[in-house]
Amino acid sequence: MKSLILWAGGIIGGIFLAVIFLMSSGLVSPQMIQLVPGYMPMQVLIELTACVGVFALLSYLLAQNGLAIPKFWQGTLFWVFLLLYLKFRIYPPIPYSVRALYLAVSAVAVFMWVSSNEEDWKQFKQPILNVLDAMTPFHKALRTFYLIAIPALLWGFSYQSFLPSLEEPIELRTVHPAPPATTKVHGRTFVLQTAQNPYRVDLEGKYDQGFTDDLIVEQGMGRLMKPDANPWDPDAKGYLKHVREGGEVFFQNCHFCHGDNLNGRGLHAFAFNPIPANFTDSGTIAQLQETFLFWRVSKGGIGLPRESFPWASTMPRWEEHLTTDEIWKVILFEYWHTGFYPRTWD
Amino acid sequence: MKDRWFTQIRMLLLVAAAGTALVFSGSASVLTYAQDEDEDAGEAEEVPEGFKAAAFPAMPSAGDVEAGKRVYFTKCVWCHGVDGAGDGPAADRLWPRPRNFNQGTFKIRHTASGELPLPDVDLLQTVTHGLPGSGMPSWDGILTEKQRRQVLAFVTAELVQDREFDDKEFETYTVLQIDDLEPIPPTEESLKRGAELFVEQKCFECHGVKGRGDGNAFNLKDDWGFPIQPADQTKCWNFRGSRRDPYDVKNIFRTFSTGMNGTPMPSFADNTTIEERWHLSNFVQSLCERGPDGEPLPIDPLTDKPKVKFVVLSSPIEGELPGDPNHELWQNRERRLVALGGQITHKPRNFVNRIDDVWVRSLYNDKEIAFMFQWNDRSQSIATEEQEWDPTEVNLEDYGLVSEQLPTTGEPGSIAAAQNKYRVFNDALAIQFPVKWQEIPPPEKPRFFWGNEKYPVDIVKWEADGSLRAFTGLGWDQDFEDRDIFAMDLTLLNAEWEDGRWTLVFKRPVKADYEEDTYFEVGKYIPTVFFVWDGHNGDVGRKLAVSSFYYTVLIPPIPMETYIYPTVIAVGIVFLEGWVLTRRANKRKGKA
Repeated sequence: MKSLILWAGGIIGGIFLAVIFLMSSGLVSPQMIQLVPGYMPMQVLIELTACVGVFALLSYLLAQNGLAIPKFWQGTLFWVFLLLYLKFRIYPPIPYSVRALYLAVSAVAVFMWVSSNEEDWKQFKQPILNVLDAMTPFHKALRTFYLIAIPALLWGFSYQSFLPSLEEPIELRTVHPAPPATTKVHGRTFVLQTAQNPYRVDLEGKYDQGFTDDLIVEQGMGRLMKPDANPWDPDAKGYLKHVREGGEVFFQNCHFCHGDNLNGRGLHAFAFNPIPANFTDSGTIAQLQETFLFWRVSKGGIGLPRESFPWASTMPRWEEHLTTDEIWKVILFEYWHTGFYPRTWD
Repeated sequence: MKDRWFTQIRMLLLVAAAGTALVFSGSASVLTYAQDEDEDAGEAEEVPEGFKAAAFPAMPSAGDVEAGKRVYFTKCVWCHGVDGAGDGPAADRLWPRPRNFNQGTFKIRHTASGELPLPDVDLLQTVTHGLPGSGMPSWDGILTEKQRRQVLAFVTAELVQDREFDDKEFETYTVLQIDDLEPIPPTEESLKRGAELFVEQKCFECHGVKGRGDGNAFNLKDDWGFPIQPADQTKCWNFRGSRRDPYDVKNIFRTFSTGMNGTPMPSFADNTTIEERWHLSNFVQSLCERGPDGEPLPIDPLTDKPKVKFVVLSSPIEGELPGDPNHELWQNRERRLVALGGQITHKPRNFVNRIDDVWVRSLYNDKEIAFMFQWNDRSQSIATEEQEWDPTEVNLEDYGLVSEQLPTTGEPGSIAAAQNKYRVFNDALAIQFPVKWQEIPPPEKPRFFWGNEKYPVDIVKWEADGSLRAFTGLGWDQDFEDRDIFAMDLTLLNAEWEDGRWTLVFKRPVKADYEEDTYFEVGKYIPTVFFVWDGHNGDVGRKLAVSSFYYTVLIPPIPMETYIYPTVIAVGIVFLEGWVLTRRANKRKGKA
């Protein structure tokens, strides 16, 4: 029964390992497996389980043939495998500190595994004791080597960590600060809670979010305009015409930083730290009310509160360059082009 | 991935076909085979070495054209315009201007000079990878491959008007077989031969003797009459055809072999051999900027430009700070790349900045700190006319000297047409630090653009007329205040323009007047901003290129603790080892 389970685990694990190998060698598209968003943690767990299965099978088969790997090396090798897996397989890479944490937990787990019963524990510590006792010339040499290498290595590591690091300091800014209650643009005061985009209108010219939401670009990859909703149609009226006018403003003023696809990768983005806001990310304009954008666009970086680093933002105070109408239209365009709906106050 | 499979299958088939051909015709190579086939097809025209006459590309279905129209009017129309004439809303503030598709002139191709591109290869790659250094972004990950093919169907069928992709009478497709050509390794001999060819083929006439694009930089025009600059070969990440793999020599080889339609860059397929072109490509590739050990600069996948570290390091030295840029003390220092963008925050906005980076090094001793700046500038600009304003003035629009490009002017008034016609001002560089930064609660800083009333900044500005001045900045629209006393302590050590590159070295006191001048302290992070003006770009006043915030750090000598603590730890470990061994020995003794 036990061998049956081992075989099953080993075969499934082998298939997974083969797929991983094919993916990493570029023979199979990684997208084949990684297509489902948010799938990464599951994938990691499945892969690791599969690997455990394969290792179990391997050690079982070796033991059957009289080539059993000592417990000590099993534990050590598995831990090294985890180290390599976390470092090379996981993408995007995880920071060193998180990796260190995972590996410490893994070390404890490995330790618990090898000490789960008296027999295993004895097996595990035998090689260590052999070195400590140094009964053979080989072990004696090994012991001498360890006695010197361990303090020397630790000296090296701690020296490295004590060396002053001259990396860029990490400064976290608030990306979406609390907006003010009102903002005055071109002599007119706008109450952020009640103001509306005057161009978000239906064909009769009445404010209508539902109507305009139906005309924005489709969601998902590609994000194309709805068929028969072309802002460049010469007959386009109302909302769609305003979208085109907003787009004209965007592509005469904003794309230099925010990019042709509104993803923050414009012509000048290379010089920025961090690069400009990515409107296609669901964490930016999709989370905000239109009036927040109106305030942010009108007052620019210089109008930000302290926690948002006004000194470092190159975002112009657009009231210097654009009319109120142009600002509303460009906001309209940004939602149309990214396919996001502005948040409402209720 | 699919593409790769196809390429591999294609190559296999080709090899198989070539093998068969060898058996039957006894000809010597794959390439000869290709020519044989041409003769069979009844085309007598000679095909250059390494090329092969190809079949006409398949014409897109009406459904694809219609679907592509939807992509085009969502994503492309904003620059390329309703009729694909490169006159969308963005066009007049861009240089180079967006492509006018109507003539069917495309730069990056595998087809011979003058021919139409292969839509499924060349145009698809352009849309996928973008054209770095221009406004064309990479659409990879934004449009699906299907959408990219559809939009190309629309562009080739509807917007290319003067030529037809399936015009059997006038069009031919002679395709560079780049996958079959084996690059020659960039050995010293190859690079040497490449350097000779660079002269023989007169590359230097436009690209300059060091490849910085400073040769015939101001007289070139493209097919539409707009000024065009020769590529700066030291910045391969800005090569239009770099395909997001800037250090790949094949991209350069392709450009040499097929030329760039619509530009003065010719094809060298007829007057060089394949071998010569590999040598030349190796040489041009070797001109691209590299790291200290000759390795390619790491490219940031977010921007497709070199990765930037936002820290400028200053190294301590004993004795005098060297003024000669070739001094080993300078040459041994790590240089840091400072990225520059156009100043597009305040009027007059600079939509096209011709200087996009500066390399910075720094040294300090107990009294002074020196900076060395190197940046590529195709022209040495020194104002010929008397400057009618005071050096402290910043609002120069009042003099009518500089103004912002209007959004819609039509082609003749566009920013592209205005290039090379500006009044020439001084090239200049300025570096800005906060005054009394010690008292500013971090992470707060004076505003990046010349500080503000609350936090004044220390600005040191060099101009190509040889002046080196010190100012206090109080805000983007506030005239500078002179700091004459400090200026007397500034020393210009070197300012030289050679082969398209400025090298500037100056030094300043580490500490002067605490109230007015920046006090440098060892080991502290001092916020720094860089400004560069290109005189031939009409840069003056607020029309300039500007960096993000960087930090200048005077590298501290290594503190004693760095040695003490590790030693304490190591000694502790030795004791621990002794304890473990003794215990073990006692235990065994006890057992025995």
